Amino acid sequence: MAAIELDGVTKRFGDVTAVEELDLTVPEGEVFGFLGPNGAGKSTTINVLLDFVRPSSGRVEVLGMDPQADSVAVRDRTGVLPEGFSVYDRLTGREHIEFAIESKEADVDPDAVLDRVGLAGDGDRKAGGYSKGMAQRLALGMALVGDPDLLILDEPSSGLDPAGAKEMRDIVREEADRGATVFFSSHVLGQVEAVCDSVGILRDGELVARDSIEGLRETVGTGATLEITAEGVTDDDLGAVRGLDGVDAASTDGATVTVQCDSEAKTAVIGALEDAGVAVEDFSTRESSLEDLFLAYTEGSAPDEAPDGATEVDA
Amino acid sequence: MSWEAVARKDFRDAVRSRWLWVLSVLSVLVFAGAAVGRLYVGGGNQQEAAAILRGFLFYLKQGTAIIIPLTALVVTYASITRERESGTIKLLLSLPHSRDDVVLGKFLGRSAVVTLPVLIGFVVALLALLPAASGLDIFVYVQFALLTALLGVVFVGIGVGVSAAVSTNQRALVGAGGLFAVFWFLWNFFVTGVNRAATDLFGLSTPDQFRLRLALKILNPIQAYKTLVDSLFMSDLEGRIRMFSMLFGMIPNQQAAQALGPELSPAFGDAVVLAAMLLWLVLPLTVGIVWFREAEL
Repeated sequence: MAAIELDGVTKRFGDVTAVEELDLTVPEGEVFGFLGPNGAGKSTTINVLLDFVRPSSGRVEVLGMDPQADSVAVRDRTGVLPEGFSVYDRLTGREHIEFAIESKEADVDPDAVLDRVGLAGDGDRKAGGYSKGMAQRLALGMALVGDPDLLILDEPSSGLDPAGAKEMRDIVREEADRGATVFFSSHVLGQVEAVCDSVGILRDGELVARDSIEGLRETVGTGATLEITAEGVTDDDLGAVRGLDGVDAASTDGATVTVQCDSEAKTAVIGALEDAGVAVEDFSTRESSLEDLFLAYTEGSAPDEAPDGATEVDA
Repeated sequence: MSWEAVARKDFRDAVRSRWLWVLSVLSVLVFAGAAVGRLYVGGGNQQEAAAILRGFLFYLKQGTAIIIPLTALVVTYASITRERESGTIKLLLSLPHSRDDVVLGKFLGRSAVVTLPVLIGFVVALLALLPAASGLDIFVYVQFALLTALLGVVFVGIGVGVSAAVSTNQRALVGAGGLFAVFWFLWNFFVTGVNRAATDLFGLSTPDQFRLRLALKILNPIQAYKTLVDSLFMSDLEGRIRMFSMLFGMIPNQQAAQALGPELSPAFGDAVVLAAMLLWLVLPLTVGIVWFREAEL
């Protein structure tokens, strides 16, 4: 059974479309990395899973249940580290964990939870005095209470230093080993690459890639990154390039065109650009990294595609 | 139960705000003041002492009728909107609580915050009062404290209902402040206006006009509270007639006495007035719960 299933989900806020016709399935037991730049619609998608917002259209299932009709039952089996939350300033760290334990009717020692997320010794302090990273750890601790079947972590590494981010990944791995499904969003590939079985890349509310990490590596492995210097290139000029066989993605910042493609396609790419009237000044190729692929999927042409500012939506 | 967890959490949180302590001190002063007045000013004469207590409570009611609703609204108007604005609501609703339970839990938690100081103040006063009090005084005192606590709970319901129904602190402030203004300043204009229109339309007799005005006045939870307190010292009928008097009840309205007496219709009895207060408890909470179900966070 799928832990998460989205079928043609669209969410509009007024005339801004945050998520469009999103189809996504995350099988049980998988560690799934939900990638995309800020504003791509990741948090909106997560908010739909948690019934914080309701989809404009489409079907959603979480753990085989409708998150709207069975909202409490879904959250009973789900641990959530939400985005854009804040803690109760006047309650201590331990009281937060105790509240989660009481809410989930779990039977765990609050201090063990605090210890696990690296807050041992801070449990008696008011959470209002916590740093961003500590608040993030506290919310993770609340999410872990009750051994949930599904963990939804929205940008869990934000506010954490590199060591903290690593501890976070260790916990994700432990939870996955226990058998939990982990749905993990980030705008940084490096955060998910090390722990995820598979990733989906969201851009402007649409899923532009869905693959296992190995699958992505294969794509990258045979490919090259082609960097072409050419003044005044617009995104429209790239249409022909994207249509070529062997080209995965193409983007431009106006002065440089970056293309992810098979090595054999290089000549065709240059040709297509020149046919489009672009004066190619110089070009270079190098072997692609996963990061290049991610950037190619998520950067570049967005402003041209969405002049109404739809890319800024992050509700 | 889920709302219990929310209520406990909310109470623990709210208890640490200085509001609870300001309220407690205030209400101890107010209630104990009544007791001290009863003990020391009243002296040894039982009847004289009872009269002083009644006089004291009678004027005290004017104070509680404004302080209790105001503090209840201040303590509650942002109870849910502040969580929405700060983002703590996401932490709260990430846990398995239904939205209905969030509203009910808030209502219960904040009810405790508002009624606890009233009851503490009352108990302190009772201890001071006990040595010299007659049974009747204590009974009246208990009822007065319970009515005052109920007034607090009603306005907690109104404040939490408003907070659940709207999306920002600012709107909640406007909503709660607006309702307070309606109950305190505008209600009698509304009563007069409706009465005039109805009289023009249907040619109501004078007693009918008074009955209509009384029915409308009872629908105001603050006026309902005041007349219920009055009923502790006098008959239902006298209590209702007081609602038409001038200058805090010092000048009785003879016309009202003639129109409503000599037997008060059971439709205006204390039970009905109490029901009107409870209506104001249920209605705003229900509206808040239904609107909050639809809200996007």
